[in-house]
Amino acid sequence: MHSSTSNSELDLPVAPERPLNSRRGTPRPARGGDLDFARVIPALPWKGIVAATALLTLAATVAWEIRARTHGYAPSLNDTPDLWAEQRNRVEPNSIVLVGTSRMLFNADLDVLEEALGQRPVQLALAGSSPFPVLADLAQDPSFHGTIILDIVPAMFLAPAGSPPMAVSQKALRRRDEWNYSQKWSHRMGMDLEEHIAFLKQEDLSLAQLLKQIPIPNRANAQIGPPLPPYFYTVDRDRRGRMVEQAAVIGSPLQQRVANGWLPLFTLPPPPSFIPAEQFGKMMGQAIEQRFKDTAQHIATLRARGVKVVFVRMPVQGPLVQKEEAIVPLAFGWGRLVQENGVPAIDTNTLPDLNTFTLPEWSHLSAPDSVEFTKRLVPHLQRALSAADTSATATLAAPRPASG
Amino acid sequence: MLFNSLTFVVFFVVVLTLYWTLRSWEARKNLLLAASYLFYGTWNPPFALLLFATTALDFWLGARIAAAGTPGRRKAWLIASLTSNLSMLGFFKYGNFLLENTQALLALAGIAYQPPHLDLFLPIGISFYTFHSLSYTLDVYRGTTQPTRSLRDFTLAVSFFPQLVAGPIVRAVDFLPQAAQPPKPDAGRFIWGLLLMTLGLFEKTVLADTMLSSAAESVFSYHGPLASLDAWTGVLAFSGQIFFDFAGYSTCAIGAALTLGFHLRDNFRFPYAAVGFSDFWRRWHISLSTFLRDYLYIPLGGNRAGAVKAALNLMIVMFIGGLWHGAAWTFVVWGIIHGLMLVVERVLRHFFQDAAWTNRLGVQLLLGLGTYAVVCLAWVFFRAPDFGSAMRIVLAMTGRLPIAGDAILPSREILQVMIVTAGLLGAHWLLRQTTMEAVVARTPRWAVTAIWSVMLFSIILTQGNGNAFIYFQF
Repeated sequence: MHSSTSNSELDLPVAPERPLNSRRGTPRPARGGDLDFARVIPALPWKGIVAATALLTLAATVAWEIRARTHGYAPSLNDTPDLWAEQRNRVEPNSIVLVGTSRMLFNADLDVLEEALGQRPVQLALAGSSPFPVLADLAQDPSFHGTIILDIVPAMFLAPAGSPPMAVSQKALRRRDEWNYSQKWSHRMGMDLEEHIAFLKQEDLSLAQLLKQIPIPNRANAQIGPPLPPYFYTVDRDRRGRMVEQAAVIGSPLQQRVANGWLPLFTLPPPPSFIPAEQFGKMMGQAIEQRFKDTAQHIATLRARGVKVVFVRMPVQGPLVQKEEAIVPLAFGWGRLVQENGVPAIDTNTLPDLNTFTLPEWSHLSAPDSVEFTKRLVPHLQRALSAADTSATATLAAPRPASG
Repeated sequence: MLFNSLTFVVFFVVVLTLYWTLRSWEARKNLLLAASYLFYGTWNPPFALLLFATTALDFWLGARIAAAGTPGRRKAWLIASLTSNLSMLGFFKYGNFLLENTQALLALAGIAYQPPHLDLFLPIGISFYTFHSLSYTLDVYRGTTQPTRSLRDFTLAVSFFPQLVAGPIVRAVDFLPQAAQPPKPDAGRFIWGLLLMTLGLFEKTVLADTMLSSAAESVFSYHGPLASLDAWTGVLAFSGQIFFDFAGYSTCAIGAALTLGFHLRDNFRFPYAAVGFSDFWRRWHISLSTFLRDYLYIPLGGNRAGAVKAALNLMIVMFIGGLWHGAAWTFVVWGIIHGLMLVVERVLRHFFQDAAWTNRLGVQLLLGLGTYAVVCLAWVFFRAPDFGSAMRIVLAMTGRLPIAGDAILPSREILQVMIVTAGLLGAHWLLRQTTMEAVVARTPRWAVTAIWSVMLFSIILTQGNGNAFIYFQF
């Protein structure tokens, strides 16, 4: 019809619908007569095809589920930005909020904290993240007057803008800001499926992740980031994280894979080729200084609003201690943050009742240990919160002296 | 609501069930209208009011145009429709762009002007539904359609959920006759619609999002110099990603409409097998190219007023086509590249039209590859966040960087992109003279079953990350 407007060939005309020839039967126009256009439906035995397709797909899906379960996967939720956004929306003016990295996510037991602190904390820690954007978000929320327990891994907290740890937090925050009804409903239905289907594991068993497991060597000069850890923790609807059992077994393949995965992840990448090293170093220095200033500003804003803030440094062991020290020396990172912000701070690595746990992969507690750890952490937290209550600036644990 | 979301699956099953259960055609259309507004409102409910306001105004203006006694009055009512639609589009989509460029122009004249930043949310799909609606008043004015008396039918034509937010741009003149009488149930049409939806989702979730998007994102967001291989890989990845993303949406839309008994026209016809740019635009985003042809190029005079005027008209059309995609000069450059290539092609055709050697397979293949290469070059400007990034990528692609570029892509991703691109180009070349319906009709039923099952299982394996379609932002 439109192609009959032949005044001019913009060189954009549409070819007319073509007559179709078919070896198995001529495709038929589906709705001719009343219209001058009708799509063609291929003449095939469609009912049989759709039934066979449904059966085949169902069989493949069931087989895949059986395979996932025989490889040790069990149904559990994916720790997605949607799950985080749902928790963020649960923050009320007087909530206790846990902010931080995967160490807060794994190590803090919500049941123990609820019993000790009188209310169930909201878990906003994100694996692989810098918690700074979440802290900034809470500082910019005028309705929030509660308590923030902030887990600080200096190398993560001070990660520069544009780095993967910052991107993780920003992605979650963006999800919350832009969360529409359709996404919320999809998330809720998705959780129901994830609680019953084992192969729904985005870290390991999505098509994208399966493709990544194909061993193809990279070019010698390729600047490729190290792989992220495999699936090794579960979360529930409150985002209580727990290390899976196999990852906590020292010497198991999963434990080895996770532990050894941290080493390249906690190694500074080479500076970009397109910026002189000196200039890049200066830029990073300025960015870190700015992060200290911005943090101080946000903490001051929060405290002025009556928000109690406590810093916590979660346990870390093995070669990761040196790796972290090489990126941001403890005295420079943790020490300055504690000193400049004057909030109560707990360094669990220096407290005898808290530094006796074995971290299977040097970074997180096993699920059973996390419960005991949280019980022992509670008295320290209560003292810190009392100190925060009176706007005390004393720290409960002094930072270790600088070692580099 | 995204097609690739669980919410849509449930929504669609409910709508389909109710639709084919209801006996009254009027009730079914009411259901589709309510479903379409629910589909749209899940993004941002207030914008559904904006959609309705646009629709109702054009319904009223269409009646005024038809009732106007004089050509002058007809034109005045049409101008009112154009002004209202384009003003709304301009305000939401180009408001800040216009202010920023005004500021830059004034600065050139030495005038310091600090414009306010309009904190605007772009209503999703506004470029599409504005064109859906505008096509009605334009067609009434041109006399190619009569105004409808049913506000409900017209509202459904504009908001019909399969094509509402990312096309195809369905003209009221194509949709309204289908709303006049109910379609008869047809199992073949229904199941073929489901197969098309599966194909569209496969293109989007498996090919665009899983196989190609990562390489494209890495390359276009990299701030440094790139190795030539990486730059080419990123650009090829994007050329495949945008095709599978947009054609995937269109295929889903056509399939969803078919399950409801409605027929939408093709929006893509194997575009990467195009030989020349006029051929490309006969195959890519056909509903936009025909819209621009019928409502802009022809009214401008088309090619009737001589070669120079025709070339100028082509450039105007492609300039606006570029700007339609987004409020940035990079989109305009993309449009200008296409406009220039259309002009160059006209000139070449003038000289070589009768040369038999141009029809040889080898020459056609070379011309097709050349077309694809320039299309890819234009995609660089379409996708790059700014001209600096675009130029870095172009220099890397042409090996003209002053320093060695960085290798940033894993070998696996390069291989993925190459395999998918080769498959894409091969498939388009094999199918360029036929249609998918013809090919499927010739395919053994066991093969159709196997391919459909593989597509469905692959979609399940992607685990639904729910990425939005690229064209939603336009």
